[in-house]
Amino acid sequence: MKEVKVEVIGPEPPCMRCQAAKKAVEKAAEKLKQAGVVVNVEKANIMSKEIVQKYGVLVSPAIAINNAVKIMGRVPSPEEVEKLIMEAAK
Amino acid sequence: MEEKTKRAVRKAVLLAFFIIVIGLLIYSRVTARPSKETFKDKLSAFGLWESPLLYVAIPALYIADYFSHAWICLLFAFSVAGLIYEFVPKETITRYMGRGKAVGYGLALCMAPFLTVCSCTMVPLFGGILYAGAGVGPAITFLLMAPAANILTILMTGEMISWEVAGARIIASAVVALVAGLIVSATPWGKAVEKEFQVADSAAARSSAKVEVVKPPLDERLWAALKFAGYLAKQILPFFIIGLIVVGYLSAFIPEEIVESYLTGPTGILIASVLGGPLYTPTLVEIALGQELWNKGMSKGALLSWLMGQPYDFANAMAVSRIAKWKIVATYFIVAWAGSVTFGFLYGMLSGSL
Repeated sequence: MKEVKVEVIGPEPPCMRCQAAKKAVEKAAEKLKQAGVVVNVEKANIMSKEIVQKYGVLVSPAIAINNAVKIMGRVPSPEEVEKLIMEAAK
Repeated sequence: MEEKTKRAVRKAVLLAFFIIVIGLLIYSRVTARPSKETFKDKLSAFGLWESPLLYVAIPALYIADYFSHAWICLLFAFSVAGLIYEFVPKETITRYMGRGKAVGYGLALCMAPFLTVCSCTMVPLFGGILYAGAGVGPAITFLLMAPAANILTILMTGEMISWEVAGARIIASAVVALVAGLIVSATPWGKAVEKEFQVADSAAARSSAKVEVVKPPLDERLWAALKFAGYLAKQILPFFIIGLIVVGYLSAFIPEEIVESYLTGPTGILIASVLGGPLYTPTLVEIALGQELWNKGMSKGALLSWLMGQPYDFANAMAVSRIAKWKIVATYFIVAWAGSVTFGFLYGMLSGSL
């Protein structure tokens, strides 16, 4: 059983595109569950001290997989997220 | 193999779309005939002035009229904004923001026009820049530059009004944004915010975290660009159309004499700068209304002041005051207003239309 941490990083309250990004991640997570990968989806605030300290200035929406920002400033497709998570799970 | 051909076809179709849009714009420019007919003339031509339907007809006719000559331009502006947003290297800002003041200011000025056609990315970026240790100055510069001179407004100003005005708008906005950033960072309250937001050296925190943005294949990026253009249009056009209704009424009922006497000369610049700011106009509406007022005799100086009002409207100030103190908002408000007056005068004098 592999575990992967996915952070969806956006402003608080969430904007439309961040919600779309989160939905894509959730869809991918749902699918990967069947493949035996546990995906912990977290919502992170792009303006919090912790996130800026960790990653620097980001363009929202951003998606970080296992503490590495992979997607920034765009809404990915669920398939793309799935592929990225699979890579991280290896 | 099949996947490959599918991608190639998608890429070709999307590229063709963008090329056609650009081609359409060039074609429309080449074949354009300047028309001196005003909206009032059109109302007369339809014999609507005496008609009881006048008040219903104005918004409908104005919107139809506007879109009939602006649709190519809007299509072009949104498509290009989508393309540029997708292809501009966003990691640059992550990588270099926080490496000294000068770099911060430079990045803020150069990146703001491309990154922030959407207000929901702007405020987070403002906060991010502040936290990243670049300081309050670049953050303010970024904040003022973004709505004043983003790619969408510049393209629309250039195409609908004139490229000379668009150029003046870019230069004036950049100077004002820079000066406002420098001034705010020198004030005691600016320094206080900087201290409050100062993040300790975060080498330890960063060792485990990294930014390694993946680049999807070209066809997916083009598709993303188009989707973003559609998203922008969905966000902006409803408000724009509501704005156009108001502009239609104003265009029909404001007499030229009033515009000529109040929106020219030094008073004209002052009035335009005051009206342009706090009076909240949704993005792009300021261009339509400015164009209309200009046709009615507003001076070029006043026009620039009017257009430069965008960054210090209330909606913007509200969003910022959630992060920064009201003193900072007030400081950049005053600087931006003074800048819009100064550049209105300068441009008015240089272009001989004060």
